[in-house]
Amino acid sequence: MSASRLRLWLAIRFSDLPLTALKLDDSVEKPIVVIQKKRVIFANALAEKAGAQVGMDFTTAQLLSGCEVVERDEAKEQSALNALSEQFYHFSPYIDRFCSDRFAQSGLLLEISSCLQLFGGLKALSERVFTHLAQTTYGFKYGLAHSAKAAWYLSFDYHEIVDNETKSLFIARLNKLSIDLLFDYPKAVDALSKTGFKTFGDLAKQIEGKSISSFKKRLGAAFTDVLCEIYDIDQNFQQSSLFEKPRDIYRPVEWFEEEIQFDYPVTNVEQLKPAFESLLQELSNYLRKRQQQCQYVEWCISDIYRKKEFVNVNSDEPQSHWQLLYDLSLIQFDNKELPFEVDTVKLTCHHVMPLQTKSQVLDFDQSRRRKSVNDFAVTIAKIKARLGHSAVYKLGYRDSRVPEITNAMVALADRCNQELPEIHLKALRPTWLLTLPELIDVKGNRLYWHGYLTTLVGPERVIGEWWEKPVARDYFLAKRNDSLPVWIFFDLYDKQWYIQGVFA
Amino acid sequence: MNEMPPELPSNASLEQLLLRDDMWMGSSQRFTTRAAVETGYEELNTSLLNRGWPLGSLVEVCQQGMQGEWQLFTPSLLELPGLIVLLNPPAAPFSQAFIQAGIDLERLLVVTAAEKNHFIACFIELSRASVGAVLAWQPNESMTYTELRKCQLASTEGSGLSVMFRPASAQQQSSPATLRMYAQIVPTGLEITVFKQKGHLQTQQAKPIVLPLPDQWQPILPYHALNQHAPIIKPDMKPPRLATVTPLRGKT
Repeated sequence: MSASRLRLWLAIRFSDLPLTALKLDDSVEKPIVVIQKKRVIFANALAEKAGAQVGMDFTTAQLLSGCEVVERDEAKEQSALNALSEQFYHFSPYIDRFCSDRFAQSGLLLEISSCLQLFGGLKALSERVFTHLAQTTYGFKYGLAHSAKAAWYLSFDYHEIVDNETKSLFIARLNKLSIDLLFDYPKAVDALSKTGFKTFGDLAKQIEGKSISSFKKRLGAAFTDVLCEIYDIDQNFQQSSLFEKPRDIYRPVEWFEEEIQFDYPVTNVEQLKPAFESLLQELSNYLRKRQQQCQYVEWCISDIYRKKEFVNVNSDEPQSHWQLLYDLSLIQFDNKELPFEVDTVKLTCHHVMPLQTKSQVLDFDQSRRRKSVNDFAVTIAKIKARLGHSAVYKLGYRDSRVPEITNAMVALADRCNQELPEIHLKALRPTWLLTLPELIDVKGNRLYWHGYLTTLVGPERVIGEWWEKPVARDYFLAKRNDSLPVWIFFDLYDKQWYIQGVFA
Repeated sequence: MNEMPPELPSNASLEQLLLRDDMWMGSSQRFTTRAAVETGYEELNTSLLNRGWPLGSLVEVCQQGMQGEWQLFTPSLLELPGLIVLLNPPAAPFSQAFIQAGIDLERLLVVTAAEKNHFIACFIELSRASVGAVLAWQPNESMTYTELRKCQLASTEGSGLSVMFRPASAQQQSSPATLRMYAQIVPTGLEITVFKQKGHLQTQQAKPIVLPLPDQWQPILPYHALNQHAPIIKPDMKPPRLATVTPLRGKT
C-alpha cells in the first residue's frame, strides 16, 4: 500500500478572515463590508441581512445597508495565517496554505495521518483542533479528505467527523459538490456549465468514461492538474508512489537574539568590544549551523533604568562570518558617544537568507582579481558605515536633453547606462557640472563670474521637458579672464545668463 | 656596588638612519618606487622620474579651484586597470563628458566626504584597497603634515595612483608627498610646474611645462575666415574653362 493512500488532510477554511484579521472591536454589532478595488469581498451577517452581497459595488452596499466600509488588508490576513500556522504546529508538522486568487477565501491544510496515534484517533484530534480554534476570534469551516485539494473543496460542505471515513466516502461526498466551487478557474467552469456539467460527479463520470486527456486538451493543464489532485489520479507514471509530491514540513519563524549583561556599568565603547565580539561569534555559529547568512543586524544597548538605544548595522553583501560585521559595528559606535552607562548589550538578527554557494575559480589570475573585488567590497562597506549609503555612488546617463537631468547617480550594485545618443556624443560637454546653475552678473555689456567671461564657441540650443517645466537654453563655451574654460547658458525664458559647468 | 652601569643604547648612527626606507636623500633613487604609468604627454614624461606618474605613492597637485585636472590625468586613467575613485570632488562629474572621453562609468566611483576626519579615513581605506586610482580633493579645512604623512604611508601600501588636489596656497607648506606640482591654465595651454620629486635633486628653478588643451575648446573662427580651407583662387589665374567649342568644319 503506498503512502499516499494513507494520507489524510484536514482543511480549515477561515470564511471571515478578511474581517477578523482587521481585529475591529465592534465587527459583530453593526453591518460592515470589506472592500477591495471598490468591490465588496466580504459582508458580515448584519450587512448580508440588509442586502449587501459579495461582488457588489461598495456604494450600492452602503446605500442598501448603511454599513461601515473597510479596506481589505492582505498583509494582516497573511500574518493572521502565520500566527495560526504556528498554533497548528502543535498538532501536525505538515501545514500547507491555500489562498484563492479570485475570492477572499483562505485557509490552512493540515496533513494529520501521521499524528493520529499521538492524539488518540481522528475524532479526538479534530475535537482538540476545533476547541482550540473556538478560543480564537476566527470563524472557520472544515473539510476532511484524502488529498489537500479535495479537503479544501469539502470544507464548503458540512460533514461530521466520525472516524470511519474512507477514500470512497470522500469521493462520494465530492461528487455531490457543484462545479461553481472551482471559482479559481472561471473560464473552465463557464465552458463546463455550457456543456452541461453541473457537479464534480459529472466530471468524475467523464474522466472514468474517457480519460483525463480530453479535459486537458480543452481546458488546459492547470485545471486538469487540480482535477487530478482532487481525485488523486495518476497522470503520467505507472508507479505513483515513487513520484508523489512530498509533504511540506512547516518551519516556524526563528531569529537570532542574544544578550550580555555586564556586572558593572560600562561607560566607553572600548569596554563593549569583547561583548560585541562574543555576541557576533555566537551569531556566526548560529548562521553556520543553519547554512544561512545575514546582511543586517541590530544592536540594542540599555541601562539599568531600561533606557534603550538601537544601532543598525548594514552590510552590502550577505555575511556569515563575524569579522566584517564587527568592524562595521565598531565604525557605527566610534562615531557616537555612549548616551548612558550601559548595562546590557543585545544583538538581534531577524532577517537571514540561505547561504549562497560560492564557486571556486580555477584560473589563478582571475581568482586573484576576484579576491581584490572582495577586499574592495569590505572597503566600501566600511566607507558606507562611516558616511552613509548615499555618499558612495556611480554615475550614469539618463535620457534627456537637459544636462542636469542626464547626470544620474546610480547605486553601486546597479548597472549604469552608458549609451550616449549621437546628439550628445558630438557636442561639447564639461567635466564638472554644478549641481545648480549659478547666476552670472551682467556688468555693463559683459558677463562676470569670479572674472570677466568671453564666449568662444556656441550657441548650442537645448529645448526639452516641455511637459513639465519647459527648458530652453543657448549653451556657450566661454573663457574667464584667467583662461579657465566654463560652460554657460542663456535662459530663453527668464532672459538671464547662468554658469553650469567647468571644462577641466 | 662595584658593578658597571648598564651600557647605554648608542645613538642611532647616520648610516642606520640612511638605511630607513622613508628617508629622502636628494638625488638617490634607492628607495623610490619604480612603478609608473605614462602621463600621455611626452614632454611631461621626460621631466618625471621613471617616465610617468609614480604608482603606490602620493602625488600632490596644487591648484586654484578647478584647473584642467581631467586633461592632466585622463590619458593615464585610460591606461590604468581597476576602479577610479573620486573622493570629495569639488562638483558633480558630468557623465556625458566621461562617456565621450572613453572612460567606462562602471569603473568610476564617487565618494563624498566633506569632513576632514572622514576624508582622511576614507583616503587611507581607499589607497590601501587595490583600486586603480584615487583622485582626492582636500576638504576646506587645511591639512597638517602628520595627516598628509598618514595619507602618504597609506598610498605606499596600495599599488594604484593616488592623487590629492590641494589649494594653491598649500604650495608654500611642506608635504611628504612623493611628487608635488602646481597646475594652472594659461592662454597657451595647461601649465605644470613640478617643484618636488623624491629622488630628484632640483638644482635650479623648475621650468614650467605647457600641455596643449583640446582643439574643441579653441574659439570658432569669425565668419569671414571660415572658408579659408577652400582652394584659394589667385586673381591672376584664369578660371578653368567649363567647355570647349570645336568648329564642325575646318578652316575655309
